[in-house]
Amino acid sequence: MEKLTVKAFGIIAEKLPEQEFYFPQQQDTEELLNSLYDEYPDLRNMDFSLAVNQQLIQQNTRLRGNEEIALLPPFSGG
Amino acid sequence: MNRFSRQTILPGFGIEGQQKLSDARVLVVGAGGLGCPALLHLAAAGVGTIGIVDGDTISESNLNRQTLFGHQHTGKPKSSTAAEILKEKYPDLSFEVFSDYLNTNNALEVISLFDVVVDGTDNFGTRYLINDACVLLKKPLVMGAIYQYEGQVMAFNFGQIALNYRDIYPNPPRRDQIPNCAETGVLGVLPGIIGTLQAAEVIKILSGVGKVLAEKILFFNLKNSSFYEVAIQANPSGRNNLPDSEEDFRSRDYNINCGLAESINWEKAMDWTLNMNDSLLVDIRETGEKPLLEKEFLTRIPMKKIKENAAALSAYENILLVCASGQRSRQLAHELKQQFPEKKIFSVEGGILHPSSPLNLNKNDT
Repeated sequence: MEKLTVKAFGIIAEKLPEQEFYFPQQQDTEELLNSLYDEYPDLRNMDFSLAVNQQLIQQNTRLRGNEEIALLPPFSGG
Repeated sequence: MNRFSRQTILPGFGIEGQQKLSDARVLVVGAGGLGCPALLHLAAAGVGTIGIVDGDTISESNLNRQTLFGHQHTGKPKSSTAAEILKEKYPDLSFEVFSDYLNTNNALEVISLFDVVVDGTDNFGTRYLINDACVLLKKPLVMGAIYQYEGQVMAFNFGQIALNYRDIYPNPPRRDQIPNCAETGVLGVLPGIIGTLQAAEVIKILSGVGKVLAEKILFFNLKNSSFYEVAIQANPSGRNNLPDSEEDFRSRDYNINCGLAESINWEKAMDWTLNMNDSLLVDIRETGEKPLLEKEFLTRIPMKKIKENAAALSAYENILLVCASGQRSRQLAHELKQQFPEKKIFSVEGGILHPSSPLNLNKNDT
């Protein structure tokens, strides 16, 4: 069974049960985001960028199976 | 043998690499948690001229991470103190001190004097300001940033594609979701690691050694001791948000405060509480915290219980939170703002102990 690995960074990890977890396979990143928003409504108000297999994406991206997804918020501290 | 012999004997670095460092001018913006270790390593490595920008003074709570400074420096300006400390260690290097914060009026002028810029600031506004100025001036920029136990490092405007911060994050976060930087916890060693990584990238940019972190963003997690790299590429919608000229840059407002929820001073807080029936002043201290305050205008809801007491807040538009010193109220204001995005949530600055607080019993006694 194909599944996604979701890795959360920074403040995003605080909105999710685990810093890293499996999530059911989705068709594309838009579907994934909507499913994540449904499951974890706190994410809706957060700004973050998305990487698929360690590659930052800028638009809806097709997922073929077993991708690693990273939710990457900006950090501001110094 | 001289001071740099251990690096000049390195294959690929050599006398030439050292000469490049010696000829270089590097600007470090922010002499704080990231800036201190970056400065220390850039100076120790022999970067000939180092500019230091910081408008802040050193406080006791900086010392866990701002490792250039010690107890004897508290109260002194960060930029000139850092320069004095480093000059004493390395008298042959030059230091240029800028004791104001960067803004749209001075940023282009200051940055244009240097070859490479290190961003060690602590807020999104200045990060976008520095990014945009460095894009306009085509200056390599090594950005580092931290959040609690994690850090990120990026090198911009360098290499074939010359990426910038807006390729990763096209716009600053919305104000209501920026965590409060000043009061977010940090283990001092984390910025030590990230600031040192920034210095390493600068040294690579200047000397030509190794492969600069130019098309990647590097994440570090201190708790897991893990790194995570993400490849980045040009983002046209992010680039659309860049200023297209120096005039455009100067006309922009980069003043994005760290304030999720807002803060309010006592004078205004009391005025609203007493005169506006849509404002509620809440003492969020835990049960048993002293002094126990019983005032008509003050509602007591301990912070642990406030989220389940939503009904008590529902009738009010403005929720003004008070704790002992203003720290917990800021944190809670941020959390409550997420729970009640439609309400205005304020943290009363300085809390009960503030000199102008009407609840400061010490003051009222004297």
